[in-house]
Amino acid sequence: MPSDPRVAQALAALAQPIAEFRAAVQGALAQADAFLAAQTADAASQAVRAATELGVFGGAHVDAARFAAMFPAVAKADKTSLAALEKAAGILRRVAGQGDEMAVALVTDGVKLGATIDAALAGAGQAFGAIIITELVRGGRFKKAEHEKLLDPAEFRAWNNAERRFAPPLVVEVDGADLHAGALLDFADGREKIVLVVRGNAPPAALVRCITPGTFVLQTVDGTGLDRLAGYEGPAIAALLPEGAATFMHDPNAGKEPWQRLTVPFLPTGPFKAVGGFSAWQMEQDVTMLAELARTPFVVPSAPGGKGAPAIGAGEAVDRIASWLLDTSGLKA
Amino acid sequence: MSYTCGLLPVLEQGDDHHYEMSEYEGARARWCPGCGDHSVLTAVQRLLAAEQLIPEQTVFVSGIGCSSRFPHYMKTYGFHGLHGRALPVATGIKLHRPELTVFVAMGDGDCTSIGAAHWIHAMRYNVDMTAMMLDNGIYGLTKNQTSPTTPQGFKSNTQPYGSFLPALNPIAASLGVTNASFVAQTAEWAPSHLYATLRAAYKHKGFSFVRILQRCPVYTPSLFQRAVQDPANITLLVHDDGVVTPDLEKIYQSQTHHDPRDLAAARALAEQSDRINLGVFFKDPSKPRYEETRRVAPRTPVERVALLEKEFARYAV
Amino acid sequence: MSASATAAPAPPKVLRVPEHTVEIVSDSGEGAQKCGQIFGAVSAKMGNGVWTVELIPAEIQPPPRVPEGASGNRIRLGEHTVTNWGDRTDLVVAFNEQVLLARHRVDALADNAVLLVEDCWARSEDTDIVAQWNAALKELSGKHYRIIPVAMEDECLTIVDNPKKGKNMYALGLLARIYGRDMELIKAQIAHAFRKKSEEVYKQNVALLELGFHWAEDNIDFRVEIPTHPAETPLVVMNGNEAIGMGAIASGMELCAMYPITPATSVSHYLSEVFEKFGGIVHQAEDEIAAAGVAIGASYSGKVAFTITSGPGLALKTEMLGLAVMTETPLVLVDVQRGGPSTGLPTKVEQSDLLAAIYGQTGDAPHIVMAPATIEECFHVMITARRLAETFRTLVMVLTDANLATGVSPYPKPTLDEQWQAAPLDLAPVRDGQKPYDWNTETGLSERIIPGRSGGMFTLTGLSHDDRSKVAYAADIHQHSSAMRSRKIAVLQSLLKPPTVYGDDKGDLLVVGWGSTKGAIEEAVDRARNEGFKVSALHLRFLSPLEPGLKPIFKKFKKVMTVEINYSDEIGDPYVTEENRRRGQLSILLRNATLVDVDCWGRVPGEPLRPMSILEAIRGRLPRGGAA
Ligand SMILES: Cc1ncc(C[n+]2csc(CCOP(=O)(O)OP(=O)(O)O)c2C)c(N)n1
Ligand SMILES: [Mg+2]
Repeated sequence: MPSDPRVAQALAALAQPIAEFRAAVQGALAQADAFLAAQTADAASQAVRAATELGVFGGAHVDAARFAAMFPAVAKADKTSLAALEKAAGILRRVAGQGDEMAVALVTDGVKLGATIDAALAGAGQAFGAIIITELVRGGRFKKAEHEKLLDPAEFRAWNNAERRFAPPLVVEVDGADLHAGALLDFADGREKIVLVVRGNAPPAALVRCITPGTFVLQTVDGTGLDRLAGYEGPAIAALLPEGAATFMHDPNAGKEPWQRLTVPFLPTGPFKAVGGFSAWQMEQDVTMLAELARTPFVVPSAPGGKGAPAIGAGEAVDRIASWLLDTSGLKA
Repeated sequence: MSYTCGLLPVLEQGDDHHYEMSEYEGARARWCPGCGDHSVLTAVQRLLAAEQLIPEQTVFVSGIGCSSRFPHYMKTYGFHGLHGRALPVATGIKLHRPELTVFVAMGDGDCTSIGAAHWIHAMRYNVDMTAMMLDNGIYGLTKNQTSPTTPQGFKSNTQPYGSFLPALNPIAASLGVTNASFVAQTAEWAPSHLYATLRAAYKHKGFSFVRILQRCPVYTPSLFQRAVQDPANITLLVHDDGVVTPDLEKIYQSQTHHDPRDLAAARALAEQSDRINLGVFFKDPSKPRYEETRRVAPRTPVERVALLEKEFARYAV
Repeated sequence: MSASATAAPAPPKVLRVPEHTVEIVSDSGEGAQKCGQIFGAVSAKMGNGVWTVELIPAEIQPPPRVPEGASGNRIRLGEHTVTNWGDRTDLVVAFNEQVLLARHRVDALADNAVLLVEDCWARSEDTDIVAQWNAALKELSGKHYRIIPVAMEDECLTIVDNPKKGKNMYALGLLARIYGRDMELIKAQIAHAFRKKSEEVYKQNVALLELGFHWAEDNIDFRVEIPTHPAETPLVVMNGNEAIGMGAIASGMELCAMYPITPATSVSHYLSEVFEKFGGIVHQAEDEIAAAGVAIGASYSGKVAFTITSGPGLALKTEMLGLAVMTETPLVLVDVQRGGPSTGLPTKVEQSDLLAAIYGQTGDAPHIVMAPATIEECFHVMITARRLAETFRTLVMVLTDANLATGVSPYPKPTLDEQWQAAPLDLAPVRDGQKPYDWNTETGLSERIIPGRSGGMFTLTGLSHDDRSKVAYAADIHQHSSAMRSRKIAVLQSLLKPPTVYGDDKGDLLVVGWGSTKGAIEEAVDRARNEGFKVSALHLRFLSPLEPGLKPIFKKFKKVMTVEINYSDEIGDPYVTEENRRRGQLSILLRNATLVDVDCWGRVPGEPLRPMSILEAIRGRLPRGGAA
C-alpha cells in the first residue's frame, strides 16, 4: 500500500466512484464465472447450486434438483465465445484483484505524466471491453471478428462517450518537476476524476491551465475541497500540493463567469524558483493568470516587470485575459 | 451496479450513431384527432433527437389517463402504471438507477388530485427527472368529470351545473413546496415554446415540473380558446436562464422579464389570475437532490458477506 | 428492611427445574427492559434456551403507578431450546404493586408464583398510595402467590441519588443470585450496554448489581437451577425484525421502501442504522402506496426491492401489489401482522392478514405467500423471497407477526453464502424476437427485460396486455395472460416438497398451524401426547401456493384442526351453525384445497398463544380420557 498518507486521503475522496467501478467489474466477473461454471455443470452440481441460491429456508421446502432442471442456468455457448469469455474473466479478475491499487498510478522516471495516466486508464479500458464481452457472450451475440479487439488495452482517446462517462477515477503520484498540467487536459472529459499527489518542489499554480468552463479544478495543500470532487458530474482534476502552493477551487456549477466559479483562498507571492523544466517566469504567469481569473470585477493589473496594462473595453473576461496576455508578452502593439 | 448499462447500447449502435426523430417513435398514437397530447409527443421526440438520448437509457413513466398513454408512443423503456402513482415509480427507478434519464407523463387528475401527495413529495425529494403534467382541465379518459384544475362553473358530467370550487393553481402550489427546484408552464399550441420549455426542464438537474396547458377537443375545447385565439392573453416570461423563443416574440408581444431565481416574483406571477404566464417561473439548480443525498457506495457480494459477519458478531451470544 | 419476609438465613432450598419464566415489570422508563435484556443474554451465553418478549404499554409515556403502564420483559428460560413464551410466569420482580396487578389481571402469573415487589409504597406518606398498596395486596391474595417485599429504593439510595435510575441493576442482582447467573458475564454485558457512557456509570451499575445480589444471598431462601448446556455451534440472539433486516441484506437487496407502522417499523430502524454501509438505503416514503411504488420502480429497473408494513399499510398497498403482479415485476413485501381490522391492536400479535394477503388484491392476482415460523427463519426467508420473486417474476409476501417481531431468542449463526446474492441485474442484450412477456405457454415463466438492455424498449403496463405488452383488446388475450400468471403458482407448487408431520404420521388429531405459533403448538402437542392423546402437528411455511400432499397427510388423522391467532366462530356460540360459521383463515384455505372437513381453533387475545390454552383446545376436541 502507498506510503504517502496523502494517497490514502485522495483515495478516500474518490471512494464512491472507485467503489462503483469495482462493483461493475466484480458484478461482471460474477456473471462471467457463473456462466462459465454452468457450461460444464451436470445436473447434480446444478441442483447444489440451486439449493444454495434458494437459501436455507428455500432449500428446506423446495426440491432443488427439480428447481434446477426447471431453470437451467444458461444457454450453451460455442467454443470461440467461451474462449473470449474466459479471457474477459481473466482481465476482470486481475482488475478486481488489484483493490484500491487499481486506482493508483505512479509517474516514474523517464515517463511523462500523460503517458502514465494513459497506461493506467488503458487497463480500465480493457476492463470495459471485458464487461461488454461478458454481456455479449451471455446474450449469445459475440462475433469474434467484430468484438475480440475489445479485450485489448484501450487508451482513453479511443474510449467512446459512454465509456468516458463511466471512467474510473485515478490517483497519480507525481514529482513536482513532472507536473505538466497541459497533459491533463486530454483527460478532462466524461466523468473522469484525477487526483495528483505532488511530491517535492512544484510549480505553485500549474493547474490553472486546466481551467475550462466544464472542468472542476482544485489545488489544495490539506485536502480541503476534495470532498466536492466525487459528486461533480463532469470531469475533475485536483492536486494535493506541498505547503506554499496556491490553493483554489474552480467549480463550474458556481456561475457563468470565471470569477464566479473560482475561489482562491491562498495565492503565493514570488519570487519563485525554477523546478525541473518550469521557469520562475512561467510560475509567475500561472499565479497571475489565476489572480486575474478570480478577480471581480475585472481590472487589468500591472504585469510582472511593471509594464502598465492598457485599458480595454467591455467584453468577456476570457477575451480580456487573452488581450492582456498578448499585451504582457509584447505581442500586441 | 447499474454502471455498465450505457456501454452496450452504444456498442451495438456504434458510438457515432445518430438517432433520428423517427427512432424514438413507438406505437401510433391513439389520441383523438386534435388532442393537444399529439403536440407534446412531437416536442418530446424532437427533444430526445436533439439531445441524442440513448433509447435504452431513457424511461417514460406514466399514470393512468389519456395523457398517460404517452410511454406506449415512445420507443424507449416505459412503465405505464397506476392512476396517480407515476411519481413514486419514477422515483424508485431513479434511486436505483441514477444514470437513466427519466420522464414522467401525468394528467391533471393524475397529478393534482389522486396523486397530489406524491406530487408534493416528489418536488421536495427533487430527484432528477422531467415531470410533465398535461393539463386539459378535465378527466379525459373517464369521459368528462371535473378535475381540480377545471375552472369554477365549468360543466362536466359529475358537476353538470358547473364546477363548485375555484380551480387549483398547480404553479402556485408547486412554488409553495420546500425544495422545489424547477417550475415552468407552457402550452401545447405554442410548439416552439413547448419545446424550449421541455428542453430547459430536461437540462435542469433536479425535479422539473412542467405544466403543459393542453386542449381536449372533445370535452374542453373552449378552455383555452381565448388564449389560443388572442395571444394578447398570454405573457411570456423571458430570461436568459429561463426560456427564450425569439420566433414567438412577434406573436406574443406581452413579455415579462423574469429571473427564475426570484421566488417571490415567481409566486406573484403565479397568482396573476387575469392572464396566462408561460415560461420558467422558478429554477434553482443548487437545491439538494435526493438521489444524490442518498447515494451509497455499492458493495460486492464478497464485501457484503464480510460486513455481515461483523454484524453478526454484534449479536453473538 | 424487609427481612421479615424470610427467617434467619438457612442454606437456600435449590429448585432444580427444566424451565422457569421470569418477568421484570416497572413503569416505563425505569429500565426494566434493559435488566431483562441483560438477564436473557447472559442466560443464553451460559447455555440456557431463552425466549424473551417485551411487555410494552400502549402509550408512550403512561402516568406512573398505573396498571396500563406496565412495561418490561418476560424471559422464559429452559434447559433446552425455548420456542415460545410459554404459559405463565413463575417469578416476578415488580417495581410497584400496580404493574404487578396488571400482570395478575391478564392471568400472566402462575398460581404459585414468587413476587418480589418494591415495598416503599407501603410506607409512603401519601395515604392514597398506601391505600392502593393495601388494595392491591388484597386483590393478589386470591391466588397462592408468595409475595416477598423488597426495599429496593432504600437499598439503592445507599449508592445513588435517584433510585429510578438504579433499581433495574439492583433487580438484575436479585435475579443473578436467585438463578445462579455468572456475575462476570453480567458485568461484561453491563459494560457493553453502557459502552457509550463513562467508567463511572459502569462502576455504579456494578455496585447496584452487587447490592441486589447480596441482599438476595442474605434474604431469599431458595435458588432456581435450570441445567445449562453450552451451545456447540455459535449462536446469535436478536428479534425477528432484526433477523428480517439482516436477511434482506444477506439476500443482496438494496432498497427498502417503507412508511412507519408498528410493529414493522423496527425493521427499518435497524436497517436505517446499517444498510448504507452494505450499499443499501431505506427510503421512508410519503405513504405506503408510494413506498410500494418506489420499490416497484426500483425492482423494475434492476435489483429486487422490498417494502415492509403491517395491516393498515398492506391495505393501502393493495393496488400497487396488483400492479406488480400484472406487470410481472418482482417485489418482496413483508407484512408484520398486528391485530385488526382497521388500526386494530398496533403493538399486539395476530394472524389475521392471511386471506387479505393472498386474496386481498382486486382482480386475479396470483402471487407467492410464505410465513417463517421462527426468528431464525425470519432471516432465511428473505433470501428465498428475493430469489423466488426474481425467478417467478412476481410478488412474494412474507408474513410475520408481532410475536416474531419483538420476541428475542438465540439461534445458530447462519453460515453466510455469497451465492444468496447471485445474479440479479441482467444486462445482456435482448434476444432477437424476445418479447417483454415471453411466456413459456406451459409454465407461464418469462425472462425479465430491464431498462438499459439493448433492444428492449418496451412499455410495461398495468392494463391487460398480450405478450408484447400491447394493451389487450381481443377477447382471448385476458384469458390467456391470466392463465400465464396463474400457471407460475402451479409450477412453484410442483417444485415444493410435502411438509413433514411433527409426531406420528397418523392419529386422532392433526393440529395445523402457520407462522409464529409453531413453538407453542408443538409444545402443546408434546404435552398432549404425554397425556396419552394421539395428536400430531403440521406447520406450513408456504401458504400460496400451499405445500403439496396435504390431503394424503390429513387422511391419516381422524380429525384435522388449525390453530391460529385469528378470529373464528365457535360452534355453540349464539346463532353460529356449521353453515354460517366463520372459520379460521388457514382452515378456509385447507378446506378449499383438500375438501377435508378441517376444523379450527382461533383466539385473538392480543398476545401469543400459550401452549396451555392450545393443550386445552386439543383436549376439548378429543374424547375425554386420553387415547381415543
Ligand atoms: C384508483 C383509480 N381511480 C380511478 C380511476 C379511473 N380513472 C382513470 S383515468 C382518470 C382521470 C383521468 O384524468 P386525467 O388524469 O386528467 O388524465 P387525462 O385523461 O385527462 O389525460 C380516472 C379517474 C383509476 N384508473 N384508478
Ligand atoms: Mg386531464
